[in-house]
Amino acid sequence: MTVIARGWNRLTLPGKIIFLAVPLLIALTVGLVATIVLLGPWLLDVLANNLPIVRFVIAATVVLLMTVPTAFLIIYMEMKVIALMNLRIGPDRVGPFGSLLSVVHGLKVLMKEDFTPTGADPLVFTWAPVVVYLASVMSLLVIPFAPGLFGQDFNLGLLYFFAVGGLAVVGLLMAGWSSFNKYSLLGGLRSAAQIISYEIPLTLSVVGLILLAGTMSLNQIVLNQAGWFTDWYVFQQPLGALIFFIAATAEANRTPFDLTEADSEIVAGFATEYSGMRFGFFFFAEYVNVFIISALLVTLFFGGWNAPFDWPWPLELHIDPASLGVGLLLVVAFVPLALTLAFAAPFWLASRRIKGWQALVLGFVLANLFIGALLFAWAYLGLDWVAGIVWFLLKTYVFVFTFVWMRGTLPRVRIDQLMGFAWKWLLPASLLNLFVTAAAIIVVRS
Amino acid sequence: MTATTDHPHPHRHYEETSADDPRVVLDREIGVFEPVPPYPPRTEREAEFYTLGDGEMLLNMGPQHPSTHGVLRVVLKLDGEKVVDLDPVLGYLHRGVEKLCENADYHQAICYLDPLEYVSSLFCEWPGVMAFEKLLDVDVPRRAEYIRVLSGELNRIASHALFLGWMALDLGGLTPILWSFIERDEIVDMLSALTGQRMLFNYFRIGGVNGDLNHEFMSRLGDWMSRATEQIEAGNTLLNENEIFVRRMRGLGTIDSTTALRMVMTGPNLRATGVPFDVRRAHPYSVYPELDFDIPTRDEGDCLARYLLRMDEIRQSLRIIDQCLHQMPDGPIMAKLPRLLRPRPGRAYAGIEGPRGQYAAYVVSDGTDQPFRMRIHDPSFIHLQAVGVMMPGHLIADTMAVMASLDPIMGGVDK
Repeated sequence: MTVIARGWNRLTLPGKIIFLAVPLLIALTVGLVATIVLLGPWLLDVLANNLPIVRFVIAATVVLLMTVPTAFLIIYMEMKVIALMNLRIGPDRVGPFGSLLSVVHGLKVLMKEDFTPTGADPLVFTWAPVVVYLASVMSLLVIPFAPGLFGQDFNLGLLYFFAVGGLAVVGLLMAGWSSFNKYSLLGGLRSAAQIISYEIPLTLSVVGLILLAGTMSLNQIVLNQAGWFTDWYVFQQPLGALIFFIAATAEANRTPFDLTEADSEIVAGFATEYSGMRFGFFFFAEYVNVFIISALLVTLFFGGWNAPFDWPWPLELHIDPASLGVGLLLVVAFVPLALTLAFAAPFWLASRRIKGWQALVLGFVLANLFIGALLFAWAYLGLDWVAGIVWFLLKTYVFVFTFVWMRGTLPRVRIDQLMGFAWKWLLPASLLNLFVTAAAIIVVRS
Repeated sequence: MTATTDHPHPHRHYEETSADDPRVVLDREIGVFEPVPPYPPRTEREAEFYTLGDGEMLLNMGPQHPSTHGVLRVVLKLDGEKVVDLDPVLGYLHRGVEKLCENADYHQAICYLDPLEYVSSLFCEWPGVMAFEKLLDVDVPRRAEYIRVLSGELNRIASHALFLGWMALDLGGLTPILWSFIERDEIVDMLSALTGQRMLFNYFRIGGVNGDLNHEFMSRLGDWMSRATEQIEAGNTLLNENEIFVRRMRGLGTIDSTTALRMVMTGPNLRATGVPFDVRRAHPYSVYPELDFDIPTRDEGDCLARYLLRMDEIRQSLRIIDQCLHQMPDGPIMAKLPRLLRPRPGRAYAGIEGPRGQYAAYVVSDGTDQPFRMRIHDPSFIHLQAVGVMMPGHLIADTMAVMASLDPIMGGVDK
């Protein structure tokens, strides 16, 4: 025994870990292979018979995993964009241009102490962030990212979205009530009042659109908007889109409606007593919400994954250089140039350490990669969902940028102004929108 | 922890906590903590304030609240979101500046006056220096007076520029504070070239100023003056033309001129109610009678008026700086004085117009080289009391807005 103990003690910590982990991994691998060999046919059979369930599980997993990089990206974007608006440099330490800072923030909250204040209700306190986070993640399931790329195509997708979105209030109220803090309680009550009030104009603003589309399935709504950008619903429902935008801002607790976590008034609102990863969940949920409302705005009013022009998908390249002549020459000459400049500009603007020619080289490489990837995907693979996801994310991040921009520019409204605006202006306006749309439909169709 | 004789440091022990100790009671009965003082009410007002009506609750704001401008503590009496009553609790930053001044000689006392207000230090030195000069019958050279006015007006702009940003920050706007810090940094760099420090300048001396105008200061000033107006106006359009900002500020924290005068308010906060009282004109001092500037007033007396008035004052300050540069006389910057100052026994008072109102010092001399008694009047202290008049009936969100519009600096309040 002493020999074994002495040998064991001589090992360093990594040595001990390897010593224990390698046999364990070998055993696991052997077990896995044996399971697959023995039970494989049966498992495949089961999976093939339950394809919808398998699809749902995969979609849910992907969506759950997707929220993390999305939130990281939006947090970084917000830090950097607001810094540039404030004439600051912003994050520039971790990773290129500080782009890994939000990842490091994520690691930080993971390692911080998970503190429950004395007097708090531990059960409710623990589950509140989970409810809030799940409410936002679940909304992502119905959003069509590209043709054929969505979690579930409900025929009541929009209704599902509002129902699940309303669930977040429960989580916020739980957090506010269980924290045993007056600031938290005020924040929770504010969020309840705000979200419930804005849910009404939010829902009413899209009823006109539902009448036009004749369906509540988000996938079908996107398909209806195929063609040129003039077919997007924003041109038929401008008031509806505006109301939706405002109400969705309030729904996601973004400036100028971020009263639930107004730091100059009620410290951090419902999240005052939270620390560590529980706070991280609230923080993540907020940024996932920004992505979701932008995505829904794009889906409903801005054509979803459709390109802004009528593009026959999948594209089959039948290019005859002779017939295109000068036009092709112009395209070949200017599109890569413009793309190079477009890709170089952010690098050049972001840091003084990057010289102009370095930015141009980077931009050139990125532009060529981008063009190559697009052409490859479009023409040769026939994967129209790649193009779809590019358009979708492009449009979505334009709106994400708008929300960040608003955060950098606008002060906060007061709670009475907030409620007055919802009930006195948005609600009548959305009813008017609904009435006019219904009347127009009757007139046109009869 | 109990003190035992075998303890390595027997003199260092903690008191044994008893069951009557309020801290113990607090720990034991979770759910009873209220921001109520641990003694029976001493005054009628205290008894009234800490008696809760139906549906009311007390909310403790500060001293660690993120937006209380330093270490102010406010106890709010709330009915839902509405503020029924409030009670500012002061003293978290008390350093005993007046007593410190009484234990230093006249030269040394000046450096205790600086950190009273870390935003407008020159205006804290100025009344003290002026009162000492009155005691000593010193004639300050005209060039020194012009330099004082020049640096003082620069400091006024720096203070007001910071105020504009703070105001927006307390309403939730993130950007203006950083834009106004650019303005402030330029001025502060300039003043550090003149005085040697960025924040606590310690520049005025009895009988003059510490150093003459130098090249760096003048070149920085000229560079900044050429674009100051444009820069400040551009920054302010972000807020002035913002519907949310204007709607929140208008009609908020209104005070009429009679009440303001009865509460001894001075400075921009008084002028925003329509009273054209400015110490620079009402009780002229230094070289202000020779300079041409207006006293902007507004009649509304609300937060928006106080905010806009400060912007008008920045424009007037720029005018004064321009005139100072053109009329700057040659000559010495210090009066001839003995090294050891022993004024005659007596008393002297000096008041000046600072960015927040009237700053004043009252000094009693007993003939030694130290002030026998020194009192400092700070406008922030006065204005903070007015919050109690302005606030009731508004919402929690407005507490900080009203407080910010009065622009108190806690260093000056607690002295």
